[in-house]
Amino acid sequence: MMLARLAIIAALLSPSAAIALTERVIDHHILPGFSTLANATSVLRQVAEQDCRRDSTALRDAYGIAFDGWIAISHLRFGPTETNDRAYALAFWPDRKGTVGRALLRLIAARDESIEDPADFATVSVAARGFFALEQLLYDERFADPQSADYRCRLVQAIATDIAGNAEAMVREWETKQAPEMRSPGPLKTYRTDAETRSVLFNALAGGLQATSELRLGRPLGTFDRPRPRRAEAYRSGRSLAHIVVSLEATRELSLLLAEGHPDLVKAIDDAFERSLRRARRLDDPVLAGVAEPATRFRIEALRDSIDAVRRLIGQQLAAALGVTQGFNALDGD
Amino acid sequence: MTTRRRFLGTAMATGLWPVTGWAALGAPAYLAAAATPEGRYRLFGLSSHGTDLFDVALPGRGHAAAAHPWRAEAVAFARRPGRFALVLDCQSGQISARLDSPPNRHFYGHGAYSPDGRILYTTENDLEVGTGCIGLWDADNGYARVGEFPSGGIGPHDMATLPDGTLVIANGGIATHPESGRSKLNLPTMRPSLAYIEPDGTMQDDCVLPARWHRNSIRHLAIRPDGLVAFAMQWQGDWADNPPVFGLHRRGQAPLLAPPDTPSRQALRGYAGSIAFSGAGKHLAITSPRGNVVQIQDIAMNSHPITRIGADICGAATTDHGFMVSSGRGLITQLSTDGTERHQHHKVQWDNHLIAIT
Repeated sequence: MMLARLAIIAALLSPSAAIALTERVIDHHILPGFSTLANATSVLRQVAEQDCRRDSTALRDAYGIAFDGWIAISHLRFGPTETNDRAYALAFWPDRKGTVGRALLRLIAARDESIEDPADFATVSVAARGFFALEQLLYDERFADPQSADYRCRLVQAIATDIAGNAEAMVREWETKQAPEMRSPGPLKTYRTDAETRSVLFNALAGGLQATSELRLGRPLGTFDRPRPRRAEAYRSGRSLAHIVVSLEATRELSLLLAEGHPDLVKAIDDAFERSLRRARRLDDPVLAGVAEPATRFRIEALRDSIDAVRRLIGQQLAAALGVTQGFNALDGD
Repeated sequence: MTTRRRFLGTAMATGLWPVTGWAALGAPAYLAAAATPEGRYRLFGLSSHGTDLFDVALPGRGHAAAAHPWRAEAVAFARRPGRFALVLDCQSGQISARLDSPPNRHFYGHGAYSPDGRILYTTENDLEVGTGCIGLWDADNGYARVGEFPSGGIGPHDMATLPDGTLVIANGGIATHPESGRSKLNLPTMRPSLAYIEPDGTMQDDCVLPARWHRNSIRHLAIRPDGLVAFAMQWQGDWADNPPVFGLHRRGQAPLLAPPDTPSRQALRGYAGSIAFSGAGKHLAITSPRGNVVQIQDIAMNSHPITRIGADICGAATTDHGFMVSSGRGLITQLSTDGTERHQHHKVQWDNHLIAIT
């Protein structure tokens, strides 16, 4: 009798606790993040409608807030961000070969009419859309020629509209499809078990931290003999370090939600993120130009090391707490 | 004209030279790298039944290997991005040569011998331009670097030589650079391919996937003796998109991709680890260490595959009656084309691939 009751309690508790974790992440991290992006990009679209000049302060401010909104969820790379290549249409980076600039120059040279209709523009190369395309139009001197000002103005508006449309579509897809799928896993559904949804969330977290370490920092750091400051993310708009901070804050929020119920781990994760965030905030080097100076480079390397310490902690202890340890052979790309 | 080297090669091949062949080692059928319980890495030679016949130490985690066609000699490749590969004398366990990637190159973890065993080819990253290349090493001359040519794409991974000497290269399409770890730098524009290249570097054929699947990284290969190529892929998007992760290709034709969207396709979780033909060449085995399954599919691809569950299953190779598969949990499994399994447990974690000694 007693045993039977215990079994019932266990049956009630364990799955619901596990589902609660996914629910918490969806309700307190994912949906608010996508909705913030949708609001900020809708503002960006409206501001661009009113003032599309490249030096407009209002436009640049709206751009910065909207871009922050994307960076704060850019680690959630599954489901709605992957539909129709939306994530790349929002952020084509890294851009190893100057593809964004070339794609924009082509549109401008041809005075391409696809900018007149959002449906047409959505078929244009992802490199000519999104935040990095907009960044060049607003901040790169190559796009300051008065002769093309009128076309570029409409191009800015088309890109802002496209960004807002993608953000809106992602919110809709999260609400109507992705969230319901993740909230109720089942044998014949996309996600079969809670363990699987947990592992999707965990992989998103690990991928976000990997991108901050290896791309946002690793790309400009290059090697000691050959630093690459011009590879810093969004250096044109002076946002490289800001992206690192925004992404660390967002991945900290996700980590802490995933670690709930393990107080020691919560504390360890929080401390580890705090060390990274303190280092980042103290840098006072918005575009990471310091990678090229030995005296300042070591502080940027130390920031990367501290993020790698977070990655190890997550990869070992949080993975174990979530029961999502990866197999010996399941590592990406082997 | 018979060069001295050709003469020596022929002499050795015909047994006129006192050289150790695979027979002296009990005729191992497969090579596989593994991590031991002590956390060390070794390369094992396995019999056709999956028992270990010999093993030699590796300095770090291995990935794949290439077996010399007749000398008891194997090249073990480090996991990418590796800077060296080791030639092992499988009789003595000694390292007989070491391959260092030239400046501005690194290895991707796979390679293959020319059918006559004289040249070892390796897949490499040209870090200067970010495209793939194939390195050539003289296997009869201490593995001196003797040349290189473009691989016909970005991120070449597995490769094989066809019986006529043509190289087949799985250009995975993904750009990486050691400065940014294993991060992928070009997913929106990636274009994986199967490249067929003459031994002199001339590109013969270039097979690409339909645009919808351009983010499907072609990474591993299996070759049927008649030249039919099977390829395994790793989807660089959400696995819930349910992509095909294997296919067949015959030179000059369009690739045949795995049958359409079904629950069995979904079981592979967008990620194939290895692929192998059955001994009779009528079936394929596809492993997925993410889905923890191996599937057996007939090559006409018009029936439902047989699915067998296996934790962390990844290596796959041909046997007379079907397949041999290996797992990170230590299992070596003989798998017949009807799905019958015979397991053998080893106290090691088998690493990624089983390499057949031909």
